[in-house]
Amino acid sequence: MPINKKAYRRYKVIDACLRNKMRPFPTIQELIDAIAEKLDIDTTVNTIQKDLAAMKLPQPDGFDAPIQFNRRKMGYEYTDPDFAISGVSLNSIDVDAIKEAIEIINAIGGSRVSEKFSHAVEKMLSSVREDLTPQDQERKIIQTDAVTDARGFEHFDLFFSACRERIPVNFTHYSYSKRKFQAITIHPVFLKEFENRWYVIGHSELHNQLRTFGFDRIYGPEALRKTFIETPAQLCGRYLNDVYGVFPLKDGEREKIVIHTNPLITNYFRAQKIHPSQHIEMNEYGDAVITFELIPSMELARLFMSYGNQLTVKEPKQFIEFIETYRS
Amino acid sequence: MKKRNKTLLLPLNIVRAPNTNLVMLRAVLDKEFTRLDFGYIAINYFIRGGWIRISSETYLNVKGHQHKYVLTHAKNIPIAPEQHYFESSKDWQYFSLYFPPIPQQDCLIDLIEEENPDDNDFNYYGIHLDMSTAEEVLQH
Repeated sequence: MPINKKAYRRYKVIDACLRNKMRPFPTIQELIDAIAEKLDIDTTVNTIQKDLAAMKLPQPDGFDAPIQFNRRKMGYEYTDPDFAISGVSLNSIDVDAIKEAIEIINAIGGSRVSEKFSHAVEKMLSSVREDLTPQDQERKIIQTDAVTDARGFEHFDLFFSACRERIPVNFTHYSYSKRKFQAITIHPVFLKEFENRWYVIGHSELHNQLRTFGFDRIYGPEALRKTFIETPAQLCGRYLNDVYGVFPLKDGEREKIVIHTNPLITNYFRAQKIHPSQHIEMNEYGDAVITFELIPSMELARLFMSYGNQLTVKEPKQFIEFIETYRS
Repeated sequence: MKKRNKTLLLPLNIVRAPNTNLVMLRAVLDKEFTRLDFGYIAINYFIRGGWIRISSETYLNVKGHQHKYVLTHAKNIPIAPEQHYFESSKDWQYFSLYFPPIPQQDCLIDLIEEENPDDNDFNYYGIHLDMSTAEEVLQH
């Protein structure tokens, strides 16, 4: 008998729970709760027990799912940690497209993302390599600014899962500027890479606001079982769209920033916008007045300072003062 | 007891006195161990920041209990006579000390590295472990 649509949706939720490394060994009640949360439907213990039994049936009636009840952990698990019911069938065109994508990912550097991802890319590449000549395998077409052995990068997987599963994390943080350690609990929302450094952004209980923390300053992250504090989407949008870099200045609001650039530096800004709001007013001799609508940030200040006296910040006054203080 | 046998984390952020360059950051109470996490900040007083180590005789004392919970192992800090030398007076070190499990209940603990300490020893007194601030750690 074919699997009905309602049951299939429940199986997908159960499958996701059984594969969730952050909350392993779910109980029947936790599965009921997950289905209620994801599908907005009430189920019974009896239904879940039937679903688990159905998932264990051989194909095509079930999924051959290796589900067992772990008596020590008092919850369910897949005995094969790589098992998933959500397999997809691909045609040869799809496979070729994926092979090309894998090559590009490999060139960009799987290790930029995470060790786990890097291993996954390596596994996929091993199948692609059979179709490539030795010359093609050795020829490197793309070189990127990849960094290896960056401190704190080992936290990527934990924070990625925590963002996805909405799980609070406690860690200890060392502030370079304040030379101070603190234990902090955050409710992580997203990860951001900027200039080859990774950051986690989320609601900090200690600061009671959205904050950014560099992976390199984080020690001993521990995922916690506690209620997740949601961050309004609007606030996340500001962080993603209105900030150049990752560290907005204290209580920063989006505002008009005006700079003057000499002809040489103007070329770089004309070649590549640093933000979608960038607007250039060219002057007769090649210099320019450039405006942005941005929340002033540490990284924007550093970028402007990197051009020395070839770039002058004209507005706003507070940002000019900040840069002057930072320089001294 | 509701939270017993779970791994509990208590944020502490307690600065040592009078030398304030050591912070007891967190306590982790597991059924198999007690872990205390620390942050140490090197200072100008010592050449190139000096060094740190922990005595193998370091122990926890739980107020009202006679038993001494003696250090079992340490992470990111050598056990004496080995030493971790800093490279500069601006360095820092995050480290953890492990002890046998203490009861998962409200209590006051002392951390004793030296019975007759000076200001540089890693001694803390009367640390309140308030279970109402404890969070359960998810196993991974």
